[in-house]
Amino acid sequence: MNELEVLLLVWGILVGLDLVSVPQVMIARPLVAGTVAGAMLGDLPTGLQIGIVFELFQHDILPMGAVRYPEYGPATVAAVSAAHATSGADGFGLGVIVGLVTAIIGGSSIHLMRRLNANAVRKAAPVLETGDIRTLVRVHVQSILRDAIRAAIVTSIGLWLANIVSTVMTGIVVMRGASGLVLAVAVTAGALAVAASGTLRLMRRPTLAWFAAGLLGGAAGVWFR
Amino acid sequence: MIRTLLRLFTIQGSWNYERMLGVGFGVAEEPLLRDLDGAGTPERETTYRGAVARGAHFFNAHPYLCGLAVGAAARAEHDGVPPAQIERLRTALSGPLGSLGDSLVWAGWLPLTSGLALVAVALGFGWWGVVGFLIVYNIGHIALRFWALEAGWTHGLDVASALRHPALQRSGALVGPAMALAMGAALPLVAAYLGGAFAPAVRLILAAAVGLGVLLLRFRPLGLTGLRLGLVYAAIGLVLGWIWR
Repeated sequence: MNELEVLLLVWGILVGLDLVSVPQVMIARPLVAGTVAGAMLGDLPTGLQIGIVFELFQHDILPMGAVRYPEYGPATVAAVSAAHATSGADGFGLGVIVGLVTAIIGGSSIHLMRRLNANAVRKAAPVLETGDIRTLVRVHVQSILRDAIRAAIVTSIGLWLANIVSTVMTGIVVMRGASGLVLAVAVTAGALAVAASGTLRLMRRPTLAWFAAGLLGGAAGVWFR
Repeated sequence: MIRTLLRLFTIQGSWNYERMLGVGFGVAEEPLLRDLDGAGTPERETTYRGAVARGAHFFNAHPYLCGLAVGAAARAEHDGVPPAQIERLRTALSGPLGSLGDSLVWAGWLPLTSGLALVAVALGFGWWGVVGFLIVYNIGHIALRFWALEAGWTHGLDVASALRHPALQRSGALVGPAMALAMGAALPLVAAYLGGAFAPAVRLILAAAVGLGVLLLRFRPLGLTGLRLGLVYAAIGLVLGWIWR
């Protein structure tokens, strides 16, 4: 692992922790995670581009209660790494694929971690019922550490996948010109559809007019630019 | 108060299927329980330990609004409210704080600020748009956490009155339309940003694929989710790309 990969791994851990555990200041949002990862790699445009794509995917998620969802933060870090290593339109599409796969692994790891946390709480329950603050803080801190380890594992797997894609897959898939473009169009369409659908799901009927007004305004902005 | 506020930022750190936010709740509440009446006496130790144990019982709500329940429960402990009543207070607050936080933050403030950030980046502000998102979002985030804890600590058992705060009601009414407007504007701008290099005919295909995706996600056949749609589209892109290479 080189210095840059270590840096990305540390960033992935912070992003993974921010999603649920601490401090939820939204560095886990793909737009932030991707931009910073891009800056680390000296490739801000790719970071922003991939960050936007996963930010759109993120709009499908409402983290209510015990709902299970994919984790796009560390996934975005891995996707940016893959896209950067495989430059051009090919890199963009392949990077998104790496990110989507990592997001599934991330989501499953959160579910597993919550089960481990539940086991730890169950085990400590008799002492917790006595009001022992040391045990309470220990259970809490250990859970946060567990999340940090989880985030490290997920980011490592993502970076490993990025490495495979950039060194092996590019040679096999050999996407040039139109073929790379097709993949880029496909993943962009997927992300936009997910964001539009996610936003519509959040809205009540009276706010639909505001959404339509926004669409018109955005379209006008595109037209005039 | 400051210690509790800081600990509230970690309240979800031990989220689990057993007690959900309970352990984090207990950890956050503990600094407010240290000066319970009769400090240094055996009775105080019993009161304190009982309150800490109660704090760590099952609880779930929106993390940003948990401070309201933490403050209210701690105030009730100080006021000598019977334990059963404190447990009932926690249970009663769980649902409303969850639904209020979900609609105000997860379905309002967060997508609103995210939409504005997407607009900013698509309009060429680059990483300044991202920095702006972090600042603006967290002004609302931290203000809400601080207000919630203070309101809970001030009102105690009468905490429901804090939820009728006019600013909270107004924010709830404004944030929905603002979010819809911001996200509506963001979508075409982001499409142009990501597909700027595409030829006009390709952009038409992109628009058709987006429309189809929205339709599929509307009816969600075979348990389709956003992630699965993304993977299906990527797989189609890979296959078509392979054919046309």
